[in-house]
Amino acid sequence: MSAFSDYKKELMAAARNERIRLALSRAIKSYRANTDKALKKFPHTIKMAEEVREIKEKATQEMARLAEQASGAIEENKGNAYIAKTAADALNIIAELVGSNKLIVKGKSMTGEEIGLREHLEEKGNDVYETDLGEFILQKLGAKPMHITSPAIHVPREDVAQLFARITEVELTSDIEELVATARKLLRDKFCQADIGISGANVVASDTGTLFLIENEGNIRLATGFPPVHIALVGMEKLVPTLNDAYKTTEVTWRYANYIVPSYVSLVSGPSKTGDIEKVTTYGVHGPKEFHVIFLDDGRTELAKHPILRQALYCLRCGGCLYECPTFAVTAGHFGDKYFAGIGAIWAAMISQDVEKAASIAYTCLTCGRCKVRCPVKIDIPETIIELRKLIAEGDKRD
Amino acid sequence: MNGKKLIPPGLVYLADNITAKQNILGTAKKEGARWAQDLNLPPKAETVFFAGCGYQYSSQLESLMSLIRMMDRSAVGAELPMRLAALPRKLGADLAGLYGKVSARGSYADIQPLIAAAKVLSNLGVKFGYLAEDEPCCGAPLYYIGLHKDFAHNARKAYQKLKSSGVKRVIGIVPSCTYALRNLFPLFIDEYDLEVRHFTEVVLANISGRKLNFPRKVKVTYHDPCQLGRYLEIIDEPRQILSAINNIELIEAEGTSGEWSTCCGGGGGFEAVFPELSQILATNRARELAETGAQIIVTQCPGCIMQLKSSLKELKADSVEILDLAQVVAMAMET
Repeated sequence: MSAFSDYKKELMAAARNERIRLALSRAIKSYRANTDKALKKFPHTIKMAEEVREIKEKATQEMARLAEQASGAIEENKGNAYIAKTAADALNIIAELVGSNKLIVKGKSMTGEEIGLREHLEEKGNDVYETDLGEFILQKLGAKPMHITSPAIHVPREDVAQLFARITEVELTSDIEELVATARKLLRDKFCQADIGISGANVVASDTGTLFLIENEGNIRLATGFPPVHIALVGMEKLVPTLNDAYKTTEVTWRYANYIVPSYVSLVSGPSKTGDIEKVTTYGVHGPKEFHVIFLDDGRTELAKHPILRQALYCLRCGGCLYECPTFAVTAGHFGDKYFAGIGAIWAAMISQDVEKAASIAYTCLTCGRCKVRCPVKIDIPETIIELRKLIAEGDKRD
Repeated sequence: MNGKKLIPPGLVYLADNITAKQNILGTAKKEGARWAQDLNLPPKAETVFFAGCGYQYSSQLESLMSLIRMMDRSAVGAELPMRLAALPRKLGADLAGLYGKVSARGSYADIQPLIAAAKVLSNLGVKFGYLAEDEPCCGAPLYYIGLHKDFAHNARKAYQKLKSSGVKRVIGIVPSCTYALRNLFPLFIDEYDLEVRHFTEVVLANISGRKLNFPRKVKVTYHDPCQLGRYLEIIDEPRQILSAINNIELIEAEGTSGEWSTCCGGGGGFEAVFPELSQILATNRARELAETGAQIIVTQCPGCIMQLKSSLKELKADSVEILDLAQVVAMAMET
């Protein structure tokens, strides 16, 4: 039980931390207000979310085929596609593409976090910059993300000021505008100088091999558009059959992530190209010359076979459930593993295969069910948690 | 996966009590049934009132929980509280009963919701009996812990017991027992044929045309227990009942009522594993409810009542009263 004791100790330290609670209570309030406003302005989203649930249900059942189809489309677009069976395979493929001594600018990717991509590339002697502001702060703090869409949700402005002052060796106030400007200055050159840009994807259309990337900061546009090479790591659960399906899934994702509309949605299907000189197609004009997409399985096709737990694969990563979880409201991502709160237990058990961690998270879930009310695709998290507890308590056929 | 050793010890304690003693505390069954001793309810009937563990043992539970919280806070480590709880059981002592007697405060008050519910049902002309110490335990915590084989075994036994007592219809009062009897038992029992309704539904069906007056003018807010609201989807019914009572003004907690209700922090045995955290969550919920300006928080779950009562004390909001809906209706019938 020592793993549980350690986990409980960490969880309780977070729960006693007034700053986490304060930061979260502000975030929850604004999330709810923004989402209500967005859903009121575009009430069709609710119906569309039901459609997206159906799209995801079907897509999850044919992930392997969709991955093949998307790979074919990407190759046709003169990109390169890879299907990685395991996390180790994905890391090897990317490490080989990257090599060493490279400057890398990276967009936020939960899948990257899941397999420890940044750390792996750093170990290989590369200089990796997280470019999402929240992730950048955490990278510099040496800390772990605490929310899927707002990773530094638990870090107050004063701590950011202190951190940036240390990096720039310039005295800074805790004025948020000044802090943001500092981050811009710190990262600007990196985008231009980078050898490689790395991103994830929110949704992928299998018929055209198009990645949909939702963001507000513009870092993903720069990271995927400026360097000569773009590498994308995508969990296979992000695949949907068509461009139209992908659009719907994207709109529902951002709306439940509390946006009326995000500043940017990038659609990337292949490397940069031109035919402007004598109609001869030439690659790598202003954007990347090379485009590589790695589809990660690592337990996903296995998980898809479980009649109850596979709901975890429908997750759009909008983060809505986290704002409704009473425990998350006082502990942030300490209640979780790579993915947070109740649904994090399913990912820990089935994808990361960390049963002890999964059990700790599963038994921290209140099974109160408010997450399910918020979830755009109505994932029954209590049901999955109780099923997982059954597997933990009574053992599993695979034992 | 690795099996039982990954279940937090607090939950193993609850599970063992259910399987061994047919109640969550492992206390003597007849202790629990004492609340009904003066009510002369028939021990055999086609419709029975299902009292459940929560209210019957609430004073003992409260004492046990405050002890566990004290231990949990005193930094002696994560598992110790429940080891402590298991120790007297090993020695053959009835810990819960013991602490119930030691504190001996208001144990009578804690069973008031049950007495009120029985009185309300009688007053409405509902014919029902009460199995008293023959009432089986629904075993719901086993299900939430993940011990589904034990739950199924217990459910079949409980069902047989109810059937052999001639029961056809059940009126539940504890949300978790009601949900188990109504929605979970059929998953494990073929041709399950008990009709299960919650007290609130029965009251609403029989209340029309009744004059109901609360003894004084009050502002009331309603806290939806997770299992009653989100699980059983009984959300409008209690509000319709409260709205039918003169002198009661119902104010909702903004954004956190109905299906959006915030859990009191007592869900699924959570309070036995994370007593301190559970208290923090209860305090957060109590604050949301107190901020409505209500003088009375009405709810319908022994777990929620226990959680919210102790956190109101912590918030120094003792002037806010917590009542079960059954008590409110009973009071409104008396005047």
